[in-house]
Amino acid sequence: MKRSRILGLVGIVWLLASLGVIAYATRLGLILAPVDALQGNIFRIIYYHVPTSMLSLLFPYVNLVASLFYLYWRQRDPLKALTADAVAISSAEVTVVYATICLWTGMLWGRVAWGIWWTWDARLTSMLLLWLLYVSYLMLRRLSSTGQTHTLAAVLSVFAGIDVPIVYMSIRWWRTQHPAPVFGGGGDSGLDPSMRPAFWFNVLGWAMWGIFLLVFRYMLERRRQESEQDAALQAIEASLEIAQ
Amino acid sequence: MKLSWIFGPSMEAHHLLYAYVTVWLIQGGYAAWIALQWARTGKELQSDPADSSQFDEDS
Repeated sequence: MKRSRILGLVGIVWLLASLGVIAYATRLGLILAPVDALQGNIFRIIYYHVPTSMLSLLFPYVNLVASLFYLYWRQRDPLKALTADAVAISSAEVTVVYATICLWTGMLWGRVAWGIWWTWDARLTSMLLLWLLYVSYLMLRRLSSTGQTHTLAAVLSVFAGIDVPIVYMSIRWWRTQHPAPVFGGGGDSGLDPSMRPAFWFNVLGWAMWGIFLLVFRYMLERRRQESEQDAALQAIEASLEIAQ
Repeated sequence: MKLSWIFGPSMEAHHLLYAYVTVWLIQGGYAAWIALQWARTGKELQSDPADSSQFDEDS
């Protein structure tokens, strides 16, 4: 069996498994998990909001590591640098998707729980900054036409990566309107045991889906690079023929 | 617990419904965009040899 066919089969199985886990986790979150005593049913947004927020702080690290490898390899081994660059743009796009969902579901929850859509507290502002940094990373890659675009984007990625621990620690360092951390937030933090299956199955499902998106987008970028290389080779061949 | 309350008239129900639906729309939309680009790039790669042979004839 050809390698590409095996990879395709693994991809389809992974996709179906992730959709199955998400469907089960959604049922747990919407129907089977108990109503929150203080917040009522609006608490159920948390089963999507928190897992996607956690993942929106993990994918930037994939982008950061790939960008550092790109910067290291760009002079030494350009072919490896292209691979790192494909990982970097894939993870940046997935980060934007997850961060968008984090901000949007947070606003929907805040309007009901707080009575306002938005407040400029440290957690929300640093998260918005993270989203803006990765949107600007993608815009730079799309719109810049200099030969240094990939290098500039990799450097921007390093700066964006610095914001991630600030977002994570913001509710620990500063007093914010955003709720205190559910996990690792001290003695009285934590989730009721009856709510844990809904929460952790959503973490698992959205992580599997995110990995699927990341790999699929990476393969698309590799295919684009191959297409661009073919086009460049043909142009060189054509110019040589004209010269003769 | 029945799910029918989510289609109720309260802001709580509306926002919960919007949240769950838009998450699927954003994620599904992005996956569909990748799939579309994947199909387009595949066609470009397949059509390249034809383009180059046409280029050869022109030259």
